[in-house]
Amino acid sequence: MKVLVTGAAHGLGRALTEQLLANGHEVVAVDRDIEPLEKLALKHRGACLAGFADLQKVESVESLLVRQHGNKFDLVILNAGISATGKFEEIPPEAYDRLISVNLFAPLHLASRLVGNDLMSAKSKIVFISSLSHAVGYPGGAVYAATKDAIASYARSISKPFHKKRVSVLTVFPGPIDTGHAEKHSPHGSSRSKRMAPDKLARLILRASRGRSKILYPGGKTYLAALFGRLFPGLATRLMRRGLYDKMAGPSY
Amino acid sequence: MADRVSRSNKAQSGRARTVLITGATDGIGLLLARAYAGRGHKVLATGRRVLTNDQDLFQSPNAVYITADQSDPAHACSAIVSAMQNIGWQQLDLAILNGATAWVGPPEDEPVDGMKQLLDVNFRFHIHLAHALAPLLFEAAGQLVMVGSTATKKAQGRFATYTATKAGLDGLCRSLREEWSGRADVLIVHPGPTRTNMHAKAGLKIGFARWFFMSPLRVASAIQYAIRRGDKRRMITRYFAFKARFSRAGEGRL
Repeated sequence: MKVLVTGAAHGLGRALTEQLLANGHEVVAVDRDIEPLEKLALKHRGACLAGFADLQKVESVESLLVRQHGNKFDLVILNAGISATGKFEEIPPEAYDRLISVNLFAPLHLASRLVGNDLMSAKSKIVFISSLSHAVGYPGGAVYAATKDAIASYARSISKPFHKKRVSVLTVFPGPIDTGHAEKHSPHGSSRSKRMAPDKLARLILRASRGRSKILYPGGKTYLAALFGRLFPGLATRLMRRGLYDKMAGPSY
Repeated sequence: MADRVSRSNKAQSGRARTVLITGATDGIGLLLARAYAGRGHKVLATGRRVLTNDQDLFQSPNAVYITADQSDPAHACSAIVSAMQNIGWQQLDLAILNGATAWVGPPEDEPVDGMKQLLDVNFRFHIHLAHALAPLLFEAAGQLVMVGSTATKKAQGRFATYTATKAGLDGLCRSLREEWSGRADVLIVHPGPTRTNMHAKAGLKIGFARWFFMSPLRVASAIQYAIRRGDKRRMITRYFAFKARFSRAGEGRL
C-alpha cells in the first residue's frame, strides 16, 4: 500500500508513519522539518520517502504535488496541523493566517488536487484530522476550532463526489493527544494522563482507515465527550471555557 | 447576563448607534444597510466595488461607504478601521460580517487560486476583522454578527469549500461567544436559500428553484429580528422569517 502522511516528523504523524512502515507499507512522509524524516528514510531504505513541504506556502504544496506525479496513493492522511491558543484578541492575526494555511487551506488544496490530478488509486482513502473541539467548542482556541470545523464540513461534503471517483473519506475527531503540540497549548500543570498516546491513536486511525466508517471519535472517552457536546452544546462549551480558557496563562502561537 | 443588561441600558438612551455592514453593495447586506440607515443609525457600509453614488444606493445620508476588498483581509481591515477613526467612531454597537462569495462545481475541479480567494473572502477576512473590531465592540458592549448559511446543515457536494467556510464561522462564533461573554455578544445567523445574485455570481443556474428561495427583503428583516432578540445561533428559515414579520420581541433595541 502506498501512503502519504503530512506532518510526519513529529507527534501523531510520526506514530502513523512508523506503524505504516512497520506493517510493510510504502510511505511518502511529508513535513517542513525534514531532518527526522531523512533519518527515518535512511533506516527504511526504499519504503520511506522524505518529502519536504511547508504547508504554509501554496507554492510548496504545489511543488509537492508535482513531485508526486505518476504516484497512485492508496491512503492519504492529512494530519499536519498547528494551533494558536490564548485570548482571541491577544493573538496576532499573522498567527491566524498560518493556522488557516496549514490547518485548512493545505488539506483542502491537497485533497482537491490529489483527486483532480488522478493521484489516488481506485478504492483509496483520504483521512482528515479534525478535532474533538468540533463537538464541544474550544474557547481559547477559537480559530483553531474554526479551522477544524471547516475541515469536518469539507470532508462531509466531498464524501459523495469523491465516492464516484472511488475515493472514500474518513474524518477523525481526536481529543487531546500526548504530544509536544498539546504540551505547548494546554494550561500549565494540566495532567498528561488525560491525553491519548499518539501510538494508540495511530493504531485506531489505521484500523478505521481499513473499514468503511466515515467518522471516527477515537477512544471511549472521546466518544462520550462528543456525545455530551452534541446533547448539551452550550454547557459543553462553557465547561471547556472553565477548564481551559480561564486557566490559560498567556497566548501561545 | 451582564452584557445584556449593559446593552439594554444603553439602548434606552436613544442615541444613534454605530453599525458596520460588510458586503453591502448588493443582496442582503445592501438591504440591511438601508434598513439601519433608514432608522437613523450611523452605518459604515463596505464592499468590493468602487461607488460614486453611495447616498443614492443606501437611500440615506446616514450611510458612509468605503471600498474594502475582502480577498486581501489585512488591507481591508486596516481600511475599515481607519475609516472608523476618520468618521470619529469611538465604539461599535453592531458589526454584521455579511460579505461572501461562492464557487460551485465538483470539488476535484476547483481551481486552487479560487479556493484560496474563497477562504480569504469568506473566512480569513472575518477573523481579521473580528480581531480588529474587538476593542471597539468591547467599548460599546456591542454585537458581532456573522452571516453563515443553512448549507452547513448538510453535506454539499457541489459547494464544499463555501460550506466549509460557513461551518468554520459557525465554529468560530461558538467558541468566541464564550470567550467574549460579558464583554460583547457574538451571534451567527444562517440564512436559507435567498433570491440574491450570489448564485449567478458563483456560476450557478438555479432556474425555477429561484421561486422557492426566500426574498432578500424578508431575510434581511428576519436577520434584524434575530439581532434584536440576541439569538446566539439562528437558522433563518421561512418559518422564522414569517414570525419576524409579526413579533414585537426586542422592540426598541437596535
